[in-house]
Amino acid sequence: MRIRPVVNLHTANRFTVIGQPLMIMSFSFAVILVVGIIANSVTSSASDLTDMYQGMRWNGAIFALLGPLMGFGIAAMTQYFPLATGLGLTRREFARGTALVFLGLAAIFTVVVTIGKVIEEATTGWGLHIRFFDVFYTGVGPAWQTLIQTFLVISAFMFVGAAATTMVNRWGQFSLWILLALFMLAGLCAVMGAILNDEFAAWLFSLLSMGWVPWMGVVLAIGIIGAVAWAILVRRAQAR
Amino acid sequence: MTAISTRDLAKTYKDVRAVDGVTIDLEPGRIYGLLGRNGAGKTTLMQLLTGQIFATKGAMTVFGENPVENAEILAQTCFIQESQKYPDTFRARDVLTVAASVYPNWDDSFAGRLVDDFRLPTKRLIKKLSRGQLSAIGIIIGLASRAPLTFFDEPYLGLDAVARQIFYDRLLSDFAEYPRTVVLSTHHIDEAANLLEHVVVLDEGRVLLDSDTEELRGHAIQISGRAADVDAFVANREVIAQERMGGLASATLIANEGDQDAAQRADLSVSPVSLQNLIVHLTTDAQRSTVTA
Repeated sequence: MRIRPVVNLHTANRFTVIGQPLMIMSFSFAVILVVGIIANSVTSSASDLTDMYQGMRWNGAIFALLGPLMGFGIAAMTQYFPLATGLGLTRREFARGTALVFLGLAAIFTVVVTIGKVIEEATTGWGLHIRFFDVFYTGVGPAWQTLIQTFLVISAFMFVGAAATTMVNRWGQFSLWILLALFMLAGLCAVMGAILNDEFAAWLFSLLSMGWVPWMGVVLAIGIIGAVAWAILVRRAQAR
Repeated sequence: MTAISTRDLAKTYKDVRAVDGVTIDLEPGRIYGLLGRNGAGKTTLMQLLTGQIFATKGAMTVFGENPVENAEILAQTCFIQESQKYPDTFRARDVLTVAASVYPNWDDSFAGRLVDDFRLPTKRLIKKLSRGQLSAIGIIIGLASRAPLTFFDEPYLGLDAVARQIFYDRLLSDFAEYPRTVVLSTHHIDEAANLLEHVVVLDEGRVLLDSDTEELRGHAIQISGRAADVDAFVANREVIAQERMGGLASATLIANEGDQDAAQRADLSVSPVSLQNLIVHLTTDAQRSTVTA
């Protein structure tokens, strides 16, 4: 099983896989720092700054890092898969090597995010009451939760991205639109059900307020479904 | 054991039969030409044989085994395709580094010499390379990989005549030292004719011709002379092409034993037909049905 060549294929240009996401993340972080500096210069009210600190739990600037990583899952199929098959690597080898790279990258960026979160927490938002790493999407609980949550979120992003792209490879872009339309239809049905049935609405609302562990189960399930779907789809994917 | 063997191999895309019932046997240790017009099915056939795409029907073996998802077999093959995609952020040296880790027989110093020969700027982003420089990357990988079965699909698009000659020279000298099976698909047939030991000509997905090059060289002759003499000579012979200019005429015909001497006795001048011209004649619509080789 030629796994190392697949890993080499993905990491031949380290700037792209490590440097570029960090660069984009740094830029986004710099913007949040500037926002924090401006906010702190406008008000010195402790309650205002505390409110800002609490409100920024939902700050989505971290997606500047998560977004490119999902893009990595897509690029794995659109840009690296044709070269892998061109070099005589099998789909099984490509899938295993690429999954290893996904998990490796998820681990690296999880450590970065967690270190950022610990510092952010220790300094009450870099002394500015801002949040970038310590947010809802990466976990606002203890650092170990951020480690698990960020790893699961990044991994799920990459596997789902790879699965969606492989579906397009197999059946064309139309298949992706159909899948998205089905998801939208399911969402619409849920909303309709909640409007028409109070019990269902209450159950649905209880899902939103369920604890961290069940939520992680959902993220894990999404990641596993993405990974399994991708592993199945890639077996019959053709170089284009 | 054959290097490549296919039986009634087919690949269909909706209503297009890209490869349509191809049956060939290619022996190991030879240089083959896979020839044909654009859209003849050459690239599709090579993609099938390297497991990049899946056959619609038929059977194939590479070194005795089905190549599809067969790591052991695919590790022995190298497919250099004209339309190979590379990641946007890759430089030439990145591709060479990856290729070195894939092919067990990779010769790094040979690759380095080829980089110099083709003046390939290895640090430049691939998307900024010229068409010829892109072709050079493929050629370097194809040669330095020393894979027991190497496919070159139009490997020198955009390369100048000097670079193409370098390719032929390096291929021949390295082949002499490290014999392997090479399948070369090209439209520069006359340029590559001296390399090819055997040619397979595809047309609309089907095998039009499968013959040793030596055999083909005497397969057709061109005669020219007075129109009446030419007309008389070609009567009852298999004519591939015929031209008339005033009282003079020329004809290209499938040569049978003794035809050359007979033409000379009939006061006609006889010249050999180049491989390229023969293929052109054979793949011209009106002539397809005349192929008998």
